[in-house]
Amino acid sequence: MTDSGSSWLTRAEPARVGIHLDGEGPLPVGGADTVTLGLLDHGHVETITSAKYRRARGPYCLTGDCGTCLVRIDGRPNQRACLTRVRDGMRIGTQNKLIRAAPDPTRLVDKFIGTMDHHHFLVRPRVVNQAMQAVARELTGFGSLPDHPPDGASAHEVSAPDVLVVGAGPAGRAAAQVLGGSQLDILWIDRGLDSPTAGGLRCRGQTGVFAAYRREGIWAAMTDDGTRPPTLHTIRPRHVLLCVGARPPTIPLPNNDLPGIVAARGLLRQLRRVDATLAAKCIVIGEGETAQRAATRLGARCIAPSRVTRLEGSTRVEEVVTTDGTLEVQLVAFAPTAAAAHDLPRQAGAKLRFDGTGFATVRDDDGRCVTEGPWQVWAAGEVAGVMSDAGAADDARRVAAALLTAAQEKR
Amino acid sequence: MPKRTFVCRCEDVTLAEIDHAIGLGMTKIEELKRYTGLGTGPCQGKECVGGLAALLCARGLADPDRVQPFTARPPTEPVTFGALAAAGDDE
Ligand code: FES
Repeated sequence: MTDSGSSWLTRAEPARVGIHLDGEGPLPVGGADTVTLGLLDHGHVETITSAKYRRARGPYCLTGDCGTCLVRIDGRPNQRACLTRVRDGMRIGTQNKLIRAAPDPTRLVDKFIGTMDHHHFLVRPRVVNQAMQAVARELTGFGSLPDHPPDGASAHEVSAPDVLVVGAGPAGRAAAQVLGGSQLDILWIDRGLDSPTAGGLRCRGQTGVFAAYRREGIWAAMTDDGTRPPTLHTIRPRHVLLCVGARPPTIPLPNNDLPGIVAARGLLRQLRRVDATLAAKCIVIGEGETAQRAATRLGARCIAPSRVTRLEGSTRVEEVVTTDGTLEVQLVAFAPTAAAAHDLPRQAGAKLRFDGTGFATVRDDDGRCVTEGPWQVWAAGEVAGVMSDAGAADDARRVAAALLTAAQEKR
Repeated sequence: MPKRTFVCRCEDVTLAEIDHAIGLGMTKIEELKRYTGLGTGPCQGKECVGGLAALLCARGLADPDRVQPFTARPPTEPVTFGALAAAGDDE
C-alpha cells in the first residue's frame, strides 16, 4: 500500500473522518465522501485483482455501474465503494488478493500468459485441468463470506403507487418537480447516496431497482444504507417513469484497465457532491465539447483517443503515451460518449435502438416506451438518448406532463 | 506489464480474445458473450455491450439498425439473499 502523502483533492470542508484501508490508517477523509473519493484523496486507486489475468483494478465509472470498485466494508464483502458513504472508523479491505500486502504470485499470469482462450486453457491432461480448476475456483470469485450475518431480518415494503419514478439525476429531478404538484401517489427512488426529496412524493434514496417482472407486474428494489439490514420493495405501479441515465463505456486503448483511470463524468459528480476540486495531475482522454468541458473543470489537458498510443503503469496509471511524447499522470479521466442505461428498460419490455455507443430506449412522441402489459412505462433523458443535462431536464418535464395527463385520466 | 486492451474489464476479455473468437466464426453478440465470458461479471454488460456492438458494426459484422444487446436478466443491481428472503410467502 502506498500513500502518496500529498492530497489529490482541494476541499472546501476539512477532512475530519478517519477510515482504515487494509488495516492501516486512519486516513482523514471528508464526512460526506464516498469511500472511493476518500481513498482517491490519498492516492489509493486499487481495489481488486482481476479474475483472469490477475491485474490490478480500481474504480472506473464512480456511479455504481461498472463493478470494479467492490471492497469489503466492516466485514461485508462486495460493497460498491463509489456508492458508500464513509463512516468514522470504517474498515475497508481490498478484495481478491491471494496474499495481502505482499507481491501476489498469481500476478505472474499477466506476465507469462498471452491471449487466454479459457475453453482450451490447461484442459489436457486431465490432472492439470483438475489442478487448474481447483486454483481457479479459489481465485475468480470476489470477496469472501461476511464476518457475521446481518443484525436482524430484512424488512419488506409492498406498495402500489400510481407512478414509480426511477432515478434522481437531471431528468429525474425535473420530472419530480412536475409530478410533485399532483394528487397522485408517487414513489420516487434512486440508488445514489443523497436521498431524493420533493414535496408530494414518497422518496427513497440508496435504493436500487434490480428487476422488472412483467408477467407478475412487479418492480423489485432494495434499500441498503450499509448500517441496517437491507429493505426489499415490491412495487406494483400503474405507470413507471425511467430516468435511469447513461453510463460511461471504456475507451479501447492498451492498458485501459489500470487503476487510476476513471470516468470523467463520475469523477465530476463525486467532486461536486462534496464541493471539492482536483489537485492531482490528470489528463482527460476524449473528444468533443463534453470532454473539453470536463478537462476545464478538472484543470486537465484534453487529448483525443486517436492520439493516445497506450497507458503505462504497474499497479496504477503513471504515464499516457501519445503520438507526440509521454506525459506523467496521477489520474486519467476517460470522457467517452455515454451509453444509455438499457437493461431495466429492456426488462420492462421496451424496444432499444443502437445509437453508435449504447442502446437507447425507443419511445412514442409522448415519451411512452411500453404500452402493453401490467403498466405503462415512460422514459426520459439520457436513457432515451438525450445526452445533455439541460436537454434531459427539458425532456423529462415534457414526458412527466404527458404522464400526468394519462395517469389522471384513467384513475 | 504486457499491453492488453480490454473490452470487458469484469471478466478480463481483451480485444485480442474477441478477435480470436471472431476468427473462430463467432460474430454475434450472444455467441461472443458465451464464448469469451464478456458481460457475465459484476456489471452484467453495463460497460461492455455497447462497445462490442460498436466494434461489430465497424467491421460490418452487425447491422447498426438491428443489433441488440444480450438479455438483461435480474438482478440489474446488487441484491442480498437476506432481502430476497424478506418477501417470504407474501409474493
Ligand atoms: S461501480 Fe463503483 S466505480 Fe464503477
